[in-house]
Amino acid sequence: MDRRRFLSIVVLAAMLVVALAVPAVAQKPVKIGVLTPLSPPGDAAAGQFIVRGARMGMEDVNGRGGVLGGRKLELVIEDDSGTPEKAIAGFRKLATQDQVTAVVGQFHSSNMLAVQVLAEQLKIPIFATQASARSITEKHMNYTFRTHVIDPDRVRLWNRWIMERGFKRVFLIAENTDYGTGLVEETKQLFKTMGVKAELETEIFDRAAVDLTPQLLKIKNWKPDLVLNGAVGTPIYLIVKQAYDVGLFPAVPMLVSYDAPVRPEFWKTVGEKGTWLSFIVYYHPTMKLPPRGEAFRQKYKAQFNEEPIYGAFNGYTQVVLVADAINAAKSDKGEDVVKALLANKFEGWNGTISFSRGEGPYWQQWTPPMLITQYTGPEQPFAEVKISFPPEFKTGEWVPGPGR
Amino acid sequence: MDATLASQYVLSGLVIGMLYSLMALGITFIYGIMKMINWSMGEFYMIGSYVQYALIATLLGPGLWWLALPVSMAAVFVLGLAIQRWLLRPMFVGAVERRDEYATIVTIAMMLFFRNLAIVLGGPNQYAPGDYARPTTILTLPISGNRFVALVATMVLLGLFWLVVKYTWVGRALRGASQNRVAIQTAGIDVLRLDMLAFGVGVALAAAAGALLAPDFLVYPENGAISTFKGFEIIVIGGLGSILGSIVGGLLLGVIEALGSVLLSAAYKDLYGFLLLIVLLVFRPTGLFGERERTA
Repeated sequence: MDRRRFLSIVVLAAMLVVALAVPAVAQKPVKIGVLTPLSPPGDAAAGQFIVRGARMGMEDVNGRGGVLGGRKLELVIEDDSGTPEKAIAGFRKLATQDQVTAVVGQFHSSNMLAVQVLAEQLKIPIFATQASARSITEKHMNYTFRTHVIDPDRVRLWNRWIMERGFKRVFLIAENTDYGTGLVEETKQLFKTMGVKAELETEIFDRAAVDLTPQLLKIKNWKPDLVLNGAVGTPIYLIVKQAYDVGLFPAVPMLVSYDAPVRPEFWKTVGEKGTWLSFIVYYHPTMKLPPRGEAFRQKYKAQFNEEPIYGAFNGYTQVVLVADAINAAKSDKGEDVVKALLANKFEGWNGTISFSRGEGPYWQQWTPPMLITQYTGPEQPFAEVKISFPPEFKTGEWVPGPGR
Repeated sequence: MDATLASQYVLSGLVIGMLYSLMALGITFIYGIMKMINWSMGEFYMIGSYVQYALIATLLGPGLWWLALPVSMAAVFVLGLAIQRWLLRPMFVGAVERRDEYATIVTIAMMLFFRNLAIVLGGPNQYAPGDYARPTTILTLPISGNRFVALVATMVLLGLFWLVVKYTWVGRALRGASQNRVAIQTAGIDVLRLDMLAFGVGVALAAAAGALLAPDFLVYPENGAISTFKGFEIIVIGGLGSILGSIVGGLLLGVIEALGSVLLSAAYKDLYGFLLLIVLLVFRPTGLFGERERTA
């Protein structure tokens, strides 16, 4: 074989390899990371619902033809166990090994605060799915987004409720995390600025503790007329059960700071001791939803045979939102996706989502509604609970529990 | 602070301390005989709580929790025998040069395995069996009926354990093995069998703690972590290998944590126990009832 002929064969072979490789590159999936708690000490049940929603979001997008003209969306799921060190390791893996375009699913504020720094360095958009500490968006980081409530708004809601109901002695027990300590600070500050005419006492407890009897005895001795439960995950249930056992609750009403009691595990864990518990939710089954939210609700019910939970709605929304932003940007690069997120409006589960760079914590932030609800009977299905606050969403009266 | 409230704090500390001591007893008993630390003790607590929950939820119903308790203990006892026979015995009969390292690696591997197995089988969700009894009062302390039952059962188990160790042939053999594993073999005792028994009994005690505390402290894959952590603290405070030390150490830790968490700050509850531990290690390195190890 002469030299010229040999070279032409090599060139032809190279061209063939390139030709075969091009479609393969075009079909390379776009990856989205889901970094969320899937094992204790994180709120693993919450993570499960977020993953359910995110998976349905991926199926929805792929069912509509994927992104960027036919590339499939792929989820890479990582367990952060609710601890910042595992969250950081998980984020690094998602960014460097899996090369994801964006990361959704953050639930614990402490974790979100730890990984958002990495997100900024590595230029990967990260979404707080249920992490609500003020400081997350108050730092004004370019790659941090949130489609969940902010703690000052949560505190404003319960302060308005406290004023409406005329509570006079309020005790806030909160865990020693960014979320818990943030709630304490916000409540102290907003009690003053909102002119709440009630006495406030606070206690921060160790999140790892399982016996909270001494703290609950102390609270009972202080004679509050309302207890605010600022725990996350397991400690919520421990506080409810142990407060019942020492005779504090339901004689003294208790408000849980987020929607953990709507999960199926609630009644399995606390039994009848959970009756009369009040709690904040962001979704109620009686809500009228826009088409995308309604379609998700029906599909979720058909798939899991139960009412969807807010975390699933938000996990779903964030994946679809990122896919829409990728299409709008015509790119799966983090910088381009951020620009598209800021420049466009997106359809979420409960309305149009847009991000702007506002003052303080209202930076790249979209806030769902917040409602106060209450269980009034043992094993009561969530769909049957009434919304007692705020007045514009009210469907029933709040009822004080029986004294013991 | 009024006297009633102070007495409530102390009583709640004593109750929780007594419950912790059951776990500590299991750890110290296994150490006493096999001279190894079982790092997976919390996972046997966890398995005990899951078995108890599964039995109550599926077979026996909430009224027969008292029947589920010995069944849970027996199940974990048998599991302990099997693990000792197949995973731990090689360090005494095989050519294992570094027994401590072997035991550490095997028991930490078991810890990871059982935690993840629980997540696979039961999911990350939490469960709790129905209440064993209605809330009640001990002197001034309003207390959960479950915790009262757990307290009584713990005292019964500790009493039974003491009687067996003190007055039975097996108990004498176990005490002998804890003093000198080589010498006891000259008396014709099969020390490897005693190891199996000790490991089985030790992990069954952890399972009892898990089953008894399941309604109050819940059932989930990592629920044994805190009890193990407290158990290790207690055996260092009370003295490694001392049964009395486990009980006194448990009570002391319970009271110190209860008082520290209400008088100082609940955010640093674990710190108070560690301060006690450090002070004790400075003035009494072998713990309250521990003896200095004799080396030949």
